[in-house]
Formats: sequence, structure tokens, C-alpha cells
Amino acid sequence: MIGFDAILASFAAALHYESIAIILGGVLLGYIVGVIPGLNRAVAIAIAIPLTFYMSAYAAIAFLIGLSKGTAAGSAVSAILLNTPGEPSSAATCLDGFPMARAGKPRKALKVGLLASVIGDLLATLLLIAVAIPFASVALKFGPYELAAILIFALVFIAGMAGGSFLKGLAAGGMGVILGTVGLDPETGAARLTFGHAELMEGVPILPLVIGTLALAEMFVQLDEYRRNRGASVIKLGKDKQDNLSFREFKGTLPTIFKSTGVGAFVGALPGLGPSVGAFMAYGLAKRSAKDPDSFGKGNPNGIAAAEAADNAVIPASYIPLFGLGIPGSVSAALLVGAFMIHGIQVGPLMLRDHPEMLFTLFSGMIVASLLMLAVGWYGLRIFAKVTSVPPHIVIPVVIFLCLAGIQVQGYGTFGLVTVFAFAIFGYFLKKFDYSFVTFLVAFIVTPMLEMNLRQAVILSGGDIAILLDRPIALAFVVFTVLMTLHLAWSSYRQWRQKRLKAAGS
Amino acid sequence: MTENHTVLRMNFWSGLGVATFAVLLLTWVVPHYGGRGFAVGMHPRTLATLGAWIMLVCALALVLLSAIALIRQRLPFFRLPKPGYLWHQTWPFLFVLAFIVLVDRFPLTWVAPFLIGSLLLVLGERRWYVVLLTAMIPAIGLYGLTAHLMRIGVV
Repeated sequence: MIGFDAILASFAAALHYESIAIILGGVLLGYIVGVIPGLNRAVAIAIAIPLTFYMSAYAAIAFLIGLSKGTAAGSAVSAILLNTPGEPSSAATCLDGFPMARAGKPRKALKVGLLASVIGDLLATLLLIAVAIPFASVALKFGPYELAAILIFALVFIAGMAGGSFLKGLAAGGMGVILGTVGLDPETGAARLTFGHAELMEGVPILPLVIGTLALAEMFVQLDEYRRNRGASVIKLGKDKQDNLSFREFKGTLPTIFKSTGVGAFVGALPGLGPSVGAFMAYGLAKRSAKDPDSFGKGNPNGIAAAEAADNAVIPASYIPLFGLGIPGSVSAALLVGAFMIHGIQVGPLMLRDHPEMLFTLFSGMIVASLLMLAVGWYGLRIFAKVTSVPPHIVIPVVIFLCLAGIQVQGYGTFGLVTVFAFAIFGYFLKKFDYSFVTFLVAFIVTPMLEMNLRQAVILSGGDIAILLDRPIALAFVVFTVLMTLHLAWSSYRQWRQKRLKAAGS
Repeated sequence: MTENHTVLRMNFWSGLGVATFAVLLLTWVVPHYGGRGFAVGMHPRTLATLGAWIMLVCALALVLLSAIALIRQRLPFFRLPKPGYLWHQTWPFLFVLAFIVLVDRFPLTWVAPFLIGSLLLVLGERRWYVVLLTAMIPAIGLYGLTAHLMRIGVV
């Protein structure tokens, strides 16, 4: 286990000026991406991964975490000034943010959003630090039976909770599992689904997969949307002194911020739910518990505070299952796993044993990122408000170029270009037909780990399933998985029946 | 209501597509290309086969449920899209594919201004300075990055 001195050294490393510069770069870029409607966190991370190839492992991950945090905070700007959320999770911010801005208080709305974002993010980061380490210490004691059972449970849970149809979620998970098995079999050395391509021997390359399915596919969707929605108007920031946030007004939002942070952290810790669920749940809770619920939706600062605090609390909290168990609970967490893999680090409880300094430096880097987020957002308010007006028809061609550049710079060549295009088509269909992307990506990422643990479990048990009776944790997760599947199938069936009856009634 | 009908049709056809693909995987792709050899624990093909079965079962259930709903509501299984709809869906893919073919033959740095500029024009941008700057700045940036900073040559 790491000593106190080493923890202090990790914090000192995170406070080094080079480290701060890298995190600042990530936060700044994330903020800009978040502010531009149509560009989201996943697109930003997918495009930024090639940039991190030449950084050290810590710098790369710190940069990506800064980017992730920056996009969450930045997306509030377009939600408030444009009524168009930069991220789907900021849709709840629009409900009160835009009416407040339209009523002549855009600066106040932005500052409430920023402070709620920073507080939510910071508190959830502290929670992550407090919870992930004991969690990982326990997880280190798990054997292949427990890990295989937990991974299967997580996949089913994500498929059910990621929104949309459970059947489509599971089918997407199946696709992810198949793609995750591509490459040389670790036990026999047999080439699996490589079709004779040497490039696939080590598995489907993660970079063309994420750039194709996330960034390029998203641009195809954006092109389709652009045809339908053109010409949104931006609210400009004025110089009205009444439009400044007073300490009293800020103090009034604090109880909502704390409550919403709790909601966001809880939702984030559960794999698959994502920030949109957290933001809307916190908004609903704030509205229900308010003395004046009718003022919500008309520019109540508590509405903005609730949505933003929860949205930003989800991200650090979603790293709890990642660092604790190695299970990425969201798209951005899955992308981080990819970035860790590229740098040769296996993320999960083993990090606590193999790279404890790295883990603590990352945690301290996350706190630094939260504070930088406040500085960047506070002083860059006017500039970011201007960035909101960058039209999508300029953003889309540049992002398509960046997608191809990311592949070319890494030297993937023709194979990479074809792969990225194939995955863009695949990602487009996943989005268009509403197949859970997060389940697909998480299944793809965890399949090698799942296969290794399943294989070890089969070898150790000699194929005797009764061994589970001696492994209560594994057995409990197997039972949870079965119950969860039955519950999700039953609730999907009830929803389908209700819809059918409704359709028959009308 | 129309949206619900569209979702039902989308579920039916996408489910059918996924089910067909899963059958193809189970009957041909996985048995032929899924890996061979003796394994002590799990066969190399086991997990891929399991994934394909999950896809097949879920997709068939989706097809069945949406087919029942479509039949009960007396809705058509197939509706021809409006003229031009397919073209609007397809042209971005063809556009990017054309440039991928070009990038395969010429460096992206040289192709990039045409890629960005032409897409800007297609999307309705007519201010020449906006087209010029948006097309040139990323290409110059890529040139600086690869030729001078990374020293891997012009990509």
C-alpha cells in the first residue's frame, strides 16, 4: 500500500506547473467543445486521444479528464444562451437557464451554472477519492469467479439502465462482445475474426473504433440535423450591473447544489445511467422540494444549480466503478479505459497495487482540474459566450477533418481509414435506430477481461457450476443478474402492453 | 402517434437486420473465422458465439413484438421514404468516402482544404474569407504538427 509521503508526492506532482498546464489545456479545450452545440464530450475525447499518444501516461489521462470536466461545465453556456444544450445532459439546464437569460440576466445564469458545476464536480471528486480506494482494496481480493460474475452483472445492468429498449441494449452488448473477441486468442494463439488482416491480430484498434462510432458518426447525424434546424439566435452578454450574481443569491442556491450533488454522485456511481438521468432527477427533486415550484421553468436559479451540480457530479462518480472494479460505467469512462490501454496501464483495482502513485496523482489532478474549471469559466465567460455563435456548418467539416487527421497521424494508413469509415456507418445506425451505444462500447472494452476471468473460472472449477456455492459473492452476482434480467424483461413487456392498450384506445 | 409508428417500423426492420447478421455470424463467420484449436478451458469461439446468440434472441424478440404491434394497429410494415430523403441520408457518407479514397492516394494535408472548403460550400457558406480561412487553418495546423513538431513528414 502507498505511504503518506508518497501521497504527498503525488499531490506535489499534480501541482507541478507542467501538470497544471496540461490540465488547463484539457479544461480549456473541453470548455470550448462544450460551448459549441453539437460537439459533445465523447466526440471531444475520441478526437483528443491521438493528441495524447506523445504524452506520458499521467499527462494523457489528466488531459482527458480535464477535457471531460471542461465539456460538462462548458455545455451549460450554450444551454443558457442558445437554448441548445452542448451536451444532452445540459437539457435540464435549458429549462431555467434560457428563460433567465432571456429575462436579461444571462451573466447571473451563467455564474450560477458555473459555481454549481464546480462545487458538484469537486465534491464528487472527493467522494471518488474516499470511496474508490477502499472499494479497490476489497476488489483486489476477488478471484476470477467474482470478477466474471460482476462483469456480466454490470453489462446486463448497463443494457437495462442506459435508456431505450432493453432488448436493443442487450443486442448492442452482444455486438460489443463479438468485436471484443477479435484478435489472437490469449490461450491457444488462434486468430479470431481477423480475416487474414495482420492489423487485427491485437484486436480491433480502439482509436478507429472510437473515432468512427463516436466522432464521425456524430457528424453524420449532425449533418442530418443541420438540414432540419438552422438559424438559432444567441443571447448576448450585456454590461448591466443588475446582471451580476450577489453572494446572497449564490448562498440561496447552496442547499440545492449540495442535494443535487448527492443525486448526481449516486446516479454516476451506478454504471450506465449517465449524466442526463442525474440532471433531470436532481431538477425534479429541486422542483418538488421548493417552496415555489411554479417558478421553475421560468428562470429560477435553483433549477440551473440543480441540473448543473448533478450533471458535473456524475462524471467523477462514474469513475468509482472504473477505478474500484475496472468497469467503465459511461462512454467517457470507457474512452478513458481505451486511453489507459494505449499507455499500457490496466485500469481497475490492480492500479492500486501496480501504479498507486499514478492513481493518487490522477486524483489530485482531478481536484486541480475542478479548480481550473472555475478560473477558466469565470474569466472566460465573455469569450465562451462568443464561441457559442460558431455555426454548425463550420464545426462539422473541421471535425470530419480532425477525425481523418487523428487516424493518419497515428499511421493507421488505408486500413485505419477504411475501419474508421466502417465504424462511422455502424455508429450512425446505432444512433439512428437507438441501440445503446454505451452498452456496445463497455461490452467491447470489458470483453478481454471478462474472457480471461471466465476462462480461469472454467479451468479452476473444471466446468463444475456447483463451485459457485462456495463463492457467495459470485453466487450473489449471478442471482442478481438473473433477477435483473427477469425484472427488465418484465418491465419492458409491461411498457409494451401499456403502449399497445393506449394505441388500441385511441 | 406517427412517431410511435415510425419507431415500431424502425424496431422491426433494425431487429430483422440484426437477426440476419447474427444468423450469418452463427452459421458462417464464427465457425469459419472464429478460431480453431484445442483449449483446456473455453474454446476460442465460445464468447463470440454467445454474443451472436444474445444478438439473435434479442433481435428476434424485437422483431416479434414490433410485428405484433404493427399488425394489431393495422399499420403497413413498409413505407417508402419521401423522394430525396435517401439522398439526404446518403450523400454525407459518399462525400467522406470520396475524400477517404483521395486521402489514400494523396496526403491529407493537401486534400484537407478541398475537403473542408467543399463541405462548407455544400452546407451553404458563401463568404469567401470564411471558406478560405476555415479550409486553410486546420491544414496548416496539421502540416506544422506533423512536419515540424512530430517530424513524421507530411501525412
